Amino acid sequence: MSIEVKNITKWFGQFKALDNVSLTVNSGELVALLGPSGSGKTTLLRIIAGLEAPSDDEGQILFSGADVSDHKVGDRNVGFVFQHYALFRNMTVFDNIAFGLNVRPRATRPTKQEIHDKVMELLRLIQLESFADRYPNQLSGGQRQRVALARALAVEPQILLLDEPFGALDAKVRVELRAWLRRLHDQIHLTSVFVTHDQEEALELADRVAVMSNGKIEQFDTPDVVFHHPASEFVMNFLGTVNQFSGRVSKGLVQIGQYKFRIPDDVNLSESGTAAIFVRPHDVAISNRPQPDKICLRALVKNVHSAGAHVRVDLVTETNDELTAELSHQENEQLQIAVGQSVFVHLRNLRIFGQASALNSEDSV
Amino acid sequence: MSAIDYNKCHITFCAAPSKKSQSLAASKENSQPKAQQPPKYKSPLERRLESTTEPRWVRYLLTFLALGFLFLFLVLPLIFVFAHAFNAGWKVYWAALVEPDTLSAIRLTLLATLIAVPLNVLFGICAAWCIAKFNFPGKGILVTIIDLPFAISPVIAGMLFVFMFGAGTFLGDLFNSWNIKIIFAVPGIVIATMFVTMPFVAKELIPVMQAQGSDEEMAARVLGANGWQMFMRVTLPNIKWGLLYGIILCNARAVGEFGAVAVVSGQIRGRTTTVPLHIEQLYNEIDPITGVTAAFAVASLLTMLALVTLVLKTIVEMKTEIK
Repeated sequence: MSIEVKNITKWFGQFKALDNVSLTVNSGELVALLGPSGSGKTTLLRIIAGLEAPSDDEGQILFSGADVSDHKVGDRNVGFVFQHYALFRNMTVFDNIAFGLNVRPRATRPTKQEIHDKVMELLRLIQLESFADRYPNQLSGGQRQRVALARALAVEPQILLLDEPFGALDAKVRVELRAWLRRLHDQIHLTSVFVTHDQEEALELADRVAVMSNGKIEQFDTPDVVFHHPASEFVMNFLGTVNQFSGRVSKGLVQIGQYKFRIPDDVNLSESGTAAIFVRPHDVAISNRPQPDKICLRALVKNVHSAGAHVRVDLVTETNDELTAELSHQENEQLQIAVGQSVFVHLRNLRIFGQASALNSEDSV
Repeated sequence: MSAIDYNKCHITFCAAPSKKSQSLAASKENSQPKAQQPPKYKSPLERRLESTTEPRWVRYLLTFLALGFLFLFLVLPLIFVFAHAFNAGWKVYWAALVEPDTLSAIRLTLLATLIAVPLNVLFGICAAWCIAKFNFPGKGILVTIIDLPFAISPVIAGMLFVFMFGAGTFLGDLFNSWNIKIIFAVPGIVIATMFVTMPFVAKELIPVMQAQGSDEEMAARVLGANGWQMFMRVTLPNIKWGLLYGIILCNARAVGEFGAVAVVSGQIRGRTTTVPLHIEQLYNEIDPITGVTAAFAVASLLTMLALVTLVLKTIVEMKTEIK
C-alpha cells in the first residue's frame, strides 16, 4: 500500500512544524524520516497515522491513491509503534497483543480461538512465546519494543509507522533489533515509515531516506545518494562528520586560502562568490609528497587517534583550517604519521555549496 | 590493604540505605540489654554507622515527641469516645443507636453520601482527565478553583448556598415555584456535601494521570478502540488505585461533614439532621447523662468508620506501591 503525502502544513501556535511537505512512499518500501529534533519528522509521522491533523485543508494523505485525510486514526488501519512503546501496563503481553482484535465490533471480531492463535503466532514471530503472561514492567526494553511491534501487527495493517523505534535501547540491542525489523518488513510485505535522528540507523535500514530540517524535506533518496550526493549543506552536515572550509568559487575555480583549484567535474555550481566547501574525513588522503592536478594542501599533524576501526588524524592546513582525516591502520603504518609532522592532504569528493546555503554553516555536527 | 578494607566496609553500608533496615537495626540495638555489650568500646563498623545518623539522644527525643503527641491527641480521644459510649452498658448503647431520630440521621447521611460521592467521582475523573491530557484556555484557573472547597471555611460554604438558594433569592424562589425546597431540606444537604468533598477525587487523579501521559490512550485509539473501550480498558484500570483512594477520602469527609451542612440543613431533628449534626444535638440535650452517652454512642459509629477508612486507605496505598 503506497502512501502519498501532499502539501501538508502544520502549525503549533506560532511554530511552523511542517512547511508544505509532500512525500510519496511506494508500496513495500521502508522509508526513514531523518532529522534533528524539531525538524518535524515525528509530526509528519503522526499526521500520516491520523494522530494529528494538518493545519489547513490544502493537505492530503492518500493510501494507495484513496484519500484518507478525513479518516479517524482507528479507521486508517495503520500499525503505530510509539517511541516509549506505550504498552498497556495493566495487561499481560498476551492481552496487549490481542487488544486490537478484542476491541473490534462483534460482527468483525475473530473468535477467541482465532485471537489466541493469532497472538501465539505473533509471539513466535517476536520470539517471546514464553512471555505471554508477563506484564510490560517485567520485560526488558528490547522485549517491550518487540511486544509493541507485535501489538501493532496484530490488526494486520498494511502500513507500519514507527516513532524512534530504537531510541530508548542500548547500542547492542539496537543493532540486533534493526536487522530483525528489516527482515520482518521484507517477510510480511509492509510499507513502513520510521522516524529517527540517528543517521547510521536511517542509512543502514531504509530503502530511502527523507532528510528533514525546519519542517521541510531537504532530500529524499536512497541512502547511497543522500550520503554521497547530498543535495544541500544541511544534508552534508547532518549525515556523518564533515570537514568544512570557507572559500570562494568563480569561473570553474575554487579558491581555498591563496590556492586555486579546478572545480571537480561532478560538482554543479554556476554561481560565484563565497562558498562552503565540505569534505568527509575518509575522503582526505595523507601523503608525504604533493600531487599535482589534485586538490592538495600542506598540513601539520596535531593529533593521532589510533584506538578504533580507523585511525583519525587531526590536522591544521596551511590555510589555517582544521581538518580531520580518517585512514586505515595499514596506511598509517606505511606513512608513519607522527604529531608535529608536516604532510600533504589530498581532498577527494569535494562538496561545494554556494553562498545562499553557506549561512547555515554553524549547524555543523 | 587496610585502605581496601575500609572501602569495602563503607560500600556495604552504603548499599543498605533503606529506612526499614536502618530502623530495624536501631530497634535491635534498643532491645538488647546494655550489659550484654561491652560499654564504651565501639567497633569501627559501629562508629561508621553512627557517623551517618543523628546522635542517639536526638533520635529518641524526636521519636518520643512524635509518639507522645500522637497518643495525646489521637489515641487518647479515641479511647474516650468508646469509654463514654459504653459507660452505661451495652443496652443503653444499643438503644441510643436504634432510636428513630438516630436512624433517620444515619439514613440521611447515607443518602447524601451516596449521591455526593458518585457525582464527585464523575466530576473528579472529568476534571482530572481534561487537566492531565489537554491544554485549554482557563486550565490554570480550573486547577486553582478545584482547591477552593479546601481553602474556604465550611461554614462560609454553607452560607454561600443559603445566599444562593434561600427564600427571597432568585434561584430559591424559582425552585420554590416548582415545589422544590433546597435550603433546610435534603437537596441543600447534598449540595453542601458535594461542595466540600469536590476536590478529593480530582486531586488524587490529576498527578496519576499526568504521570501516565496519554500515550496508552493514543495506542488504544490507533488499534481501533472507541472512546468507551479506551476508557474502560486502558484509562480506568490505570487509575483505579488512585481513584479508590480518592473515593475513600471523599466518602470519609462526606459522612463527617458538619459545618456546611449545619448551615444549610436547618437542623430539623429527625428530618434534616445528618449523623454529625445529630451527635451535636444529643450532646446539648437537656438530660446531660443520657444525652452525652447517646452522643458518644453515635459518635463511636463515625469513629469506627474512620478506623475502617484508615485500614482501607493503607491497603490501597500498599497496592499502589506494589503497582
